[in-house]
Formats: sequence, structure tokens, C-alpha cells
Amino acid sequence: MKHSYSLFLLLVILILNSCDKKQAINIAGSTTVLPIISIAAEEFRKTNPDIGIIVNEGGSGVGVNQLGEGKINIGLVSRDITQEEIKAYPNVTFNTISIGKDAVVPVVSSEIYNSGITTLTLENIAKIYRGEIKNWKDLNGPDKEILVVDKEASRGTRHVFMEIILGDKEAIASGADLVLGSNNEEQTAIVQSDAAIGMLSNAWLNEDVKGLNIKMLDGTVIEPTLENIINNKFPINRDLLIVTNAEPTGEVKKFIEYLLSSEGQIIVEEAGYVGINQ
Amino acid sequence: MLGSTNNIGKYYVYGSTLISAFIVFLIFSILLVNSWEAVTTIGLDLFNLNWNPATREFGIWSMLFGTLVVTFIALLIAVPLGVATAIFTSEILPSTYRIVVKSLLELLAGIPSIIFGLIGIAFFSIWIQNIFDLQSGRTILTAGILLSIMILPTIITLTDDAFNNIPSKYRETAKGLGLYKYEIIKEVLLPIAKPDLKGAILLAFGRALGETMAVMLVIGSIDKIPDPIYNWLSPGQTITSKLGREIAETSFGSVHFSAMIFMGLLLFIIVLILTIISQNSLKSNGRLYE
Repeated sequence: MKHSYSLFLLLVILILNSCDKKQAINIAGSTTVLPIISIAAEEFRKTNPDIGIIVNEGGSGVGVNQLGEGKINIGLVSRDITQEEIKAYPNVTFNTISIGKDAVVPVVSSEIYNSGITTLTLENIAKIYRGEIKNWKDLNGPDKEILVVDKEASRGTRHVFMEIILGDKEAIASGADLVLGSNNEEQTAIVQSDAAIGMLSNAWLNEDVKGLNIKMLDGTVIEPTLENIINNKFPINRDLLIVTNAEPTGEVKKFIEYLLSSEGQIIVEEAGYVGINQ
Repeated sequence: MLGSTNNIGKYYVYGSTLISAFIVFLIFSILLVNSWEAVTTIGLDLFNLNWNPATREFGIWSMLFGTLVVTFIALLIAVPLGVATAIFTSEILPSTYRIVVKSLLELLAGIPSIIFGLIGIAFFSIWIQNIFDLQSGRTILTAGILLSIMILPTIITLTDDAFNNIPSKYRETAKGLGLYKYEIIKEVLLPIAKPDLKGAILLAFGRALGETMAVMLVIGSIDKIPDPIYNWLSPGQTITSKLGREIAETSFGSVHFSAMIFMGLLLFIIVLILTIISQNSLKSNGRLYE
């Protein structure tokens, strides 16, 4: 009897909770944009405690699809929306707003970086991803097989990276050894290996995950620095987008305005990205 | 007791059963309806090696292969280990300690699979990487071993129960005939418990097939069949890890979505067949001791 009583109580609590439904903004998508949004959401709620904000990850593809299906109010997308995605949701008007800029940087394990491979040409990176170069010694590195880390097909970072490297955002990388999802997962795999190459957002580089310089066709070497992202010199760059269905209104509009305000832009820059005004 | 109370109880029990049965039926129909588009538009090409939504290729072969191999590895490790543990707890351990040891082992079943996944990715895959000197510890073998730990409690508990259900007169008679303990276990108890053992293994099989989180984190998630085919120290993909990673990226109603659901249907059918087989082997064993 006691048991069923507590079950009943639980039910009452659940029902009461759902009655007291606050206005909530549902957000999901790219793990690149996520760090900005989760901090911004906390700060925003300090001045707007009545607005609930629910933030989930999943990748750019998830951001677009869930927005298309009406499950969320704001999708986080770190790439362009594809024609297929626009076609898949004819009733949705995708409205994109850029909140910052970022670069996708080819990264290697620190062991490889410290052994002297700090710069690669786009062509060599492409060869690695196509499986034509399989060992670091072919690039004057140590005699170690390359662990090629790829990302899930609809991830924003992959679209942007493959567009430049292999010429098609949905190109198959036949040299890939692992296919992973979020920036976190990619970062972990590269740290755990001593011979890995992968792709990461510029803000996710650190001591163990080193960003490569890119050698352009004319011989200039471009480092993945904020300065080179600001002046668009780094070849693999992108806008960080938030996407809504049609023009945002009400609470959603308020939150987006906050992201674009000087306060919001400070969060963008503190997360390691470049603000829109730079 | 009032007749009406009795009736309420009856309908409540009937109703609950009907709802459970209906849910199974509902899931099956949803899977069937939603995978129809993939079956009609792609047809037999579903069973090839290339999965690339961008070019509308949806070959599920590598996922199916991964699922079966990972499950096979898990059973290969967990069955001998589990049966041996169960023999120890039920036949060798004094019965006062039996419950304690058994509940401790059953705690394994209560650990959320994401915890297994985290330990797998943070430590276990690194060990595999170092032991076998691999580029990456995210392999089919890693997933199989991790899975074997997860299905171990199922096998231990059911096998232990099977041994424990055998009346002690068999043991006593065998002892009276002068058999050693290991002879009693091997020649008397194991043959009697065999049908129950089969059931235990099939249940563990079903559990292993459906496990998602832990496998998804450690298997490497690449849609390839290892080359050569028995090189299980290379990354792979299972149906569940594929679904876990990709289902949210598909738009509802697309062929891509439908092909994903088709994999779910396939998994459902495999588990269904296993359940039917295990039900039969549990039912029709014609126990000697009854």
C-alpha cells in the first residue's frame, strides 16, 4: 500500500510540474557553437529568470533536422544548410544569423607535432584522407601509421573541412580509421593516440592537440591564429550560425539580441572564437 | 472478499497484459511501416557494403556484420566465465555466502551502460591499444570484451538458479556412488541444467545485441568490414551504434531515415527469433527431476 501511495505522489508531482510550464527556449545542434550558447544561456537567465533555456548537443545536422521538425526554437549550425535539408522541410523558412567566426583546423597528436610535422599542404592532407599516404614517414615524420580520424557525415566541422580538402562537403574519406561525433570525442581520440590526424574547431586546440599550419600553393605558411581567422587568410573558415524558423519573435528574439550584443560577443570571444564585428 | 473487487483485479491484470502485448505489436508495426520505403526503393541493395546517404547508398552489411561479431566475442568470453562462476557460487561456495556473492555479482547488471562506456573509452581502450600496439584502441574486440562484462550477470544469475533448482538427491546419489565433486558437476549437474543454460545464453545474446551506449563509444564507428574479415583488432560498426549516432541526423520520412529504421527492424526480428527459441528450450526440457 505504501508503495502505491508513493507512486501516486510521484504522479501528482509530475502533473503539477507540467502545469507550471514556464516559457522555455529549446536549443540544439553543433558542438562547436554549444560552449557559447551554454554560457550565454546562464548569463541571460541572470537578468531574465522567467525564461527557461534548454540546450542540447548533437551536431549541426541535428540542429537543422530538429528545427525542421519543430522540436526546437533555435538550431545551432556551424556550416551552411544544404539544399537537401532545405528541400526536406518545405514548410520551414530557415533564417540564419551569424554570431561569430571560426576556423576548422587540421590537428595532429602532440607527438607528431613535436617530431617536426607542423605544416602540411592541403594536397597532403587530402592524400591522407583519401588513404594515399598511410605513414607519417612519407611526410618526413616518424615511422608510424597514421590514425585518420573522420567525423559523422552531417557534422558541421566535417562539411567545412571536406569542402576545402576533398572538394565536396559530403565526400567519402576512404582513408579514415575512426568516425566520431562531437568536438569532445574527436579531441579525446587525438589525445589518446600518438599518431592521429583529425579536424577540430580552432577553439578546441590545446597542448595535446596541436593545430597544423597550412602551406598554400604559393608557398606561404598560414598559422591557425585568431588574427588569420579575422582577416580570412586561414583557408578553412566558417560562420557560426544560429537558425530559426522565420524571423524570431518574443523570448527567442530577446535571446538572439543578447547573443549579438556586446555582452554576448564577449562570451563568443572568451570561448575562443572571433566576434562578428571583427 | 467482494466479487467486484475480484473483478477489478481481474480486469487490471488482463488490461496490463493487453497493454504490454499491444506495445510490442505497435513497435513492430511502426518499424515495419517506416522501413517500407527503404525496402521498396532500395531493395536488395540494402545488403551491400556501401553506406553513403549523400549518394543514396544504404548498404547495411558492415553494421550487421559488426553486430554479429561483437555479440559472438561477448558470448565467447562471458559464457565460460559465467558458467564457471555459477558453478562456484552454487556448488562450491557454502550457501551462507552464496547470496552475498551472488548479489555482489548482480550489481554488475545495475551499472548504467554509459558508465561501462566511459570506463571503456577512458581506460580499457587505452589498455587494448598498448597491449596489441595498435593505432587506436577503439576496436571490435574492445566492444566485444566490454559487452561480455555487461552480459556476465545475466549468465551467472540464470545458470546459478539452474544449478540451484536441481534437487540435492542427485548430488547425494552421485556422491554415494563414489564420484568426485568435479565428476558430479560434469556428469550429473551440467547435463541436467543444460536446457536452462541454453536459455540463459540466448537471453544474454539478446541483451548483447541491443546494447548501444557502451558499444557506440568504443567501437570506432566506421562502416567497414575488417580486412581480413577475422581482424577484430580494427574498428567497426554495429547496428545499434549506427542508429545511436545517426538517427537524429536524418529527416523524418526520408529514405535515409527509413533505412535506419530497417536496421532496427532487422534487430527486432533477430531478437524475436531468439526469444522464441529460448522460450521453447526453457519450456520443453522435460526436467528429469520433476
